Amino acid sequence: MTPIVSWPVARATASARLRSAGPWLIGLVFTIAGAVRAELHGGGTETFSGPSAIWFVLLTFGLGTAILSEEIESGHAQLVLLRPLTRAAWFGGRLAGACLALAVFCVTAWLATFVAAVARGYGFDPMRFPALVLGILWGCAWLSVLACLGAFMPGWTNAGALSAVVLAWIFLVGTIGLIRPQWVPILQEVTALLGPQNPLVLLDPVKPRRDFGPALYDLLWLFGPWLLGVAILNRRELARRRA
Amino acid sequence: MDEQPALELRSVSKRYRLRDGGELAAVDSLSLEVRRGEIVALLGPNGAGKTTAMQLALGLLHADGGEARLFGGHPELLATRRRLGYAPDAPLFPKALTGLEVLALHGALLGFPRAEARTRAARFAEEVGIAEPARRKIATYSRGQQQRLGVALSLLGEPDLVLLDEPTAGLDPAGVAAMRELLAGLRAQNAAVLLNSHLLSEVERVCDRVLFIKGGRVLRTHDMRVQGRRLEIRLANAATMAARLPEVLAGATVAEDRVSVDVDAEALVPGIVRQLVEAGGEVLEVRLAGAELEELYLHIVEGQQ
Repeated sequence: MTPIVSWPVARATASARLRSAGPWLIGLVFTIAGAVRAELHGGGTETFSGPSAIWFVLLTFGLGTAILSEEIESGHAQLVLLRPLTRAAWFGGRLAGACLALAVFCVTAWLATFVAAVARGYGFDPMRFPALVLGILWGCAWLSVLACLGAFMPGWTNAGALSAVVLAWIFLVGTIGLIRPQWVPILQEVTALLGPQNPLVLLDPVKPRRDFGPALYDLLWLFGPWLLGVAILNRRELARRRA
Repeated sequence: MDEQPALELRSVSKRYRLRDGGELAAVDSLSLEVRRGEIVALLGPNGAGKTTAMQLALGLLHADGGEARLFGGHPELLATRRRLGYAPDAPLFPKALTGLEVLALHGALLGFPRAEARTRAARFAEEVGIAEPARRKIATYSRGQQQRLGVALSLLGEPDLVLLDEPTAGLDPAGVAAMRELLAGLRAQNAAVLLNSHLLSEVERVCDRVLFIKGGRVLRTHDMRVQGRRLEIRLANAATMAARLPEVLAGATVAEDRVSVDVDAEALVPGIVRQLVEAGGEVLEVRLAGAELEELYLHIVEGQQ
């Protein structure tokens, strides 16, 4: 059976992404922001919520920028795809590599928050671990969306276009909220459907949820765009070869 | 030699649609084959269709007509790709990685275990003369070093078929000489090589067959082995020898201080030189050239007399 992820490609991608200065800078701020907010009942969610969430999203978008196009446009993808691997495995490898790099930053930030919490005398809370897993899942789902966009968008425009859409939606929801406050609950429901959800709501100490809805939804956002991205990449590549 | 060609193009055509609605025939009913142990060169002016022909052979482009086959199978079969090496013209690589890392990545993609991939990476980096730069990030590489890395990548799996698109572009003279040795090594390993180069002197030295291409069509195939090579002997007394030359060397011609004669095999050279010396020729220099590829090129491709 043909693998859907090329691990050599994933390792090389992660290695290249982890050497970029931008993600390191954002990752550093993300780590510090989480550690500063470490608290007793945070359950590790402090790493991925509040102001830290902004840095987490920036980091995710940074790692997903030009995830496919940098290889396609340089021509290296052509050389790699002449090796015995499928386009699907290459796509999977690029995505998995970005996810691995994200996981490295997340584990570092989560550990920093954990250590900060222990240092402040809050003790060891094993329930912090699910926050790490859910945070990484959330980020990987966004990376999958970026990879899918990267299958047909040049250069950095995958991240640029997605950022523009997200910001435009936030602005729209905010504006409508001011004009028609009664629509806000409906808009919040709609917003939750437009992209990966923050699954950390599952760990909310005030309103704990017993279902796995947001996590399963993010799994859908991880594999759905992945599948769609591979289909788009295949279609575009075959069209290019025939053109 | 194998019965089955390593690379075969059968009447392949490729047309590009232009923005003005017209079409450009990049390759037009082109046929060629390369067998194992053979080095074949494509020669032609820029835009002749050499790179397109290579990309059609590799399956990187799909032909509008005709068929490309590698080892008798479809070029995109994964099993076929294990036996294939390709160095494109002006390759680019991930700038954040080192040359060794890129080589190790490709080694792993070829299915070598990680340790073996790393060993091969170091070995081939050394073979193409980038042992030291290969430890640095590719962002610091010169054009020639990237070219050498591309060639190392193509050789990494010790392939049965190698396609080299302008491998000497951007190389210094030492690099060109190393490339010549690599090509000789590939022939010794019984690999098939399709070479696209503008360096006629190198093509002349290493290739078995040359295909002259223009406008996407093969104008002529020149077999360097069968159609012989030209022996040039510079004499101190060429003027005096000129009159006696027809009886000493049949078919020889004299131009200025040089005697030229076509030879079928390198082994005949010592005998010819001996004949000339015994006849009183004062030999200053002996040069075994190809069949004057430059002349042929100008005649066939550029239409010059």
